[in-house]
Amino acid sequence: MPARNSTAALPGTAGGGALRLRWPLRRLFLRSADDAQSESGLKRAHFREWRLPIWLLAPQLFILLLFFFIPSVRALIQAFQLTDPFGATTQWVGFENFERLFRSGVYWSSAQVTLIFTIAQNVLTLSIALLLAFASNHILRGRSAYRTVLLLPYAIAPAIAGIMLAFLFNPRVGPIAHTLQGLGLDWDPNRNSWHALALIVMAASWKHICYNYIFLVAALLSVPQSILESAYLDGAGPIQRFLRISLPMVTPTLFFLIVINFVYGLFETFAIVDATTRGGPAGATSILVYKVYLDGFVTLDLGSSAAQSVVLMVLALLLTIAQFRYVERRVNYSV
Amino acid sequence: MRSFYGALAGAGAMLLAGLSPARAATEIEFWHAMSGALGERVEELVKKFNDSQKEYVVKAIGKGTYDEVLNGTIAAYRAKRQPEIVQSNERSFLTMVNSGAIVPTSDLMAQEGHPIDASQFIAPVVSYYAIDGKLQAMPFNSSTPILFYNRDHFKAAGFDKPGATWQELEPQLDAIKAKGVSKCAMVLPGDYEWSFLENYSAVNDIPYATKRNGMDGLDTSYVFNKGKLVDQVERMKRLVSSGVMQLAGQGIIPIQLFTSGECSTIIASTASHAAVVAAAKFDWSAAELPYEQGVTPKNSVIGGAALWTLKGHSPEKYKAVAAFYDFLAKTDTQVWWHQATGYVPVTTAAYEAAKAQGYYQKNPTREIAVLQLMRGTPSDNSLGFRIGNSNQINVAIMEEVSAAFLGKKPVQQALDDAVARGNEALRRYEQLNAGKK
Repeated sequence: MPARNSTAALPGTAGGGALRLRWPLRRLFLRSADDAQSESGLKRAHFREWRLPIWLLAPQLFILLLFFFIPSVRALIQAFQLTDPFGATTQWVGFENFERLFRSGVYWSSAQVTLIFTIAQNVLTLSIALLLAFASNHILRGRSAYRTVLLLPYAIAPAIAGIMLAFLFNPRVGPIAHTLQGLGLDWDPNRNSWHALALIVMAASWKHICYNYIFLVAALLSVPQSILESAYLDGAGPIQRFLRISLPMVTPTLFFLIVINFVYGLFETFAIVDATTRGGPAGATSILVYKVYLDGFVTLDLGSSAAQSVVLMVLALLLTIAQFRYVERRVNYSV
Repeated sequence: MRSFYGALAGAGAMLLAGLSPARAATEIEFWHAMSGALGERVEELVKKFNDSQKEYVVKAIGKGTYDEVLNGTIAAYRAKRQPEIVQSNERSFLTMVNSGAIVPTSDLMAQEGHPIDASQFIAPVVSYYAIDGKLQAMPFNSSTPILFYNRDHFKAAGFDKPGATWQELEPQLDAIKAKGVSKCAMVLPGDYEWSFLENYSAVNDIPYATKRNGMDGLDTSYVFNKGKLVDQVERMKRLVSSGVMQLAGQGIIPIQLFTSGECSTIIASTASHAAVVAAAKFDWSAAELPYEQGVTPKNSVIGGAALWTLKGHSPEKYKAVAAFYDFLAKTDTQVWWHQATGYVPVTTAAYEAAKAQGYYQKNPTREIAVLQLMRGTPSDNSLGFRIGNSNQINVAIMEEVSAAFLGKKPVQQALDDAVARGNEALRRYEQLNAGKK
């Protein structure tokens, strides 16, 4: 999963490797004694010798070297420097950049916003994707047409999605904003922090629902028909069958998606924030990854920006380890 | 297609080289931040220069916003692929001067045999871009904020024109809203830190930062958290919270809300003339910035950008750069640029020439910015700003000030926080550039 960290060092660069790296990394993190004996289901799949997997990984590792490892090392170095943007003067300042960061109230409020944003985005994305996956599995006519339509937002560039939503919800000229105002809601994301936050949560989720949806549709299809049919014969309705049988059986997918959604929310929502709110009003939607960009590329405070990327990297690493170590144990992998 | 013509031109040039002693023209790159109509004007300007002689070719390349151009330049400079000329905004002055990456314009011009006299430029431009009388950058697009207003709206509300002071203007804006003439009596510009705070302090002769706003050294500190500047932010807060002043927000540009006829006034750069002329379908006009009652208003300060020459190129390239700057400083070029874009003429001669043409009689609003910039004798508070890390501090100040007028923080506290954040960045700049100007 640290593959996605590349966005922390280099905003806007596609990480891309998360899915492919899932297995080796899981082995790395989960090499505990009880795993070896009780490997079952998906966990049983592995390579019998070491050369082939290395070759298969090589291209990905090369890309990671260029877009993740080299930038990370540079970020790590810069985090301990005070430097002129043109590189004319560089001073080593020890932990000063970090001290400054942790002293700054602005940084902590950004962390708080990020927490709220990622959780809200995760809940919204996953629940809507589940609902849609459930519904589209029960549609008989035109199922593929519905699926195509549902997948379309994924093809839209984040910046375009952001601008579009910013315009639709613009309190002066946006049609949706006018509708909301017509309903008596004093909608104004330019002044109200919560409205702005809701807007970026919506924009980020809208872009990511399709991704969740594909995985959930596939997972729901792989739920054994025989079990569903026997439940049907026992008189269980579609909702009961979904909640009692399908949902528990797709938990590995849900778990995977929760991790991916957190990584997405933390590292890949920069473009959406930039296009929708630019971190405003008054920094209310300036999430951590946006602050890395703002401090590095707009205000040219390279030391602070680098220190922030290092903090994000560490955060991502901790999050990934914690999730795989503690959450995964409760997940049923024997699908 | 372009490469096809390029190849054709190349072949033609080779043929010519074979036939005549003429050498191939020296090509230099000019990275700029002008987009839309202004971007087209830059293309025209460069074409004029390229057509005026055969030795040099300037290639203008739009690289996005000022921030993006600066970022691109830094990345290019670090990779040793920098262009010869780059346009950078007034706020980045110290960043550029202390970058170690530039050739001061005065030195370049003297060396190439086109000595340039700083005194031919108008005073507010010289005080910004010259150190000890030596120009560091080539003044290019200079502007200053003025008040654009919708005359139809003012008439409908029973006013002839906007009042000269804030004390007269505020009730007018309130009336426009109260009488239902417009739901948006004023729209907040995106660069309000420049127009509502920095220029406000210059015009009303209030210190913004110590050491003559940084002119006297890097050990300057912000002091805008007291007196009239607090009242000014209180005023912005009142205008925003009563709905008299609206925020454009993301997805639209503030000036569009003025040109579409939705908002009655905007305080914006005089360069907005280009947009207003192109889009406003109503009777509009402009006026000088409002000031405080009882104050003799001082000059406002410039915004916009200048052209910086980057180090690391061959002597022929610098000859081309000097020839291009020489062309830019010509009165004809300046008059054309001023009239085509709305920016102010940067030389005194160009202003006099435009006046002699009768241009301001036909286009009175085009003279407002010049008159306002040249008004009275500059005081220590209206010379201009020479602040390190200014781009960075600007973001922090805008964040705090908007927290104030959105009611998230008391105004005084927001300004204290802005000053504290600003001063921290100033001290860091001082630490990094110890011993420099």
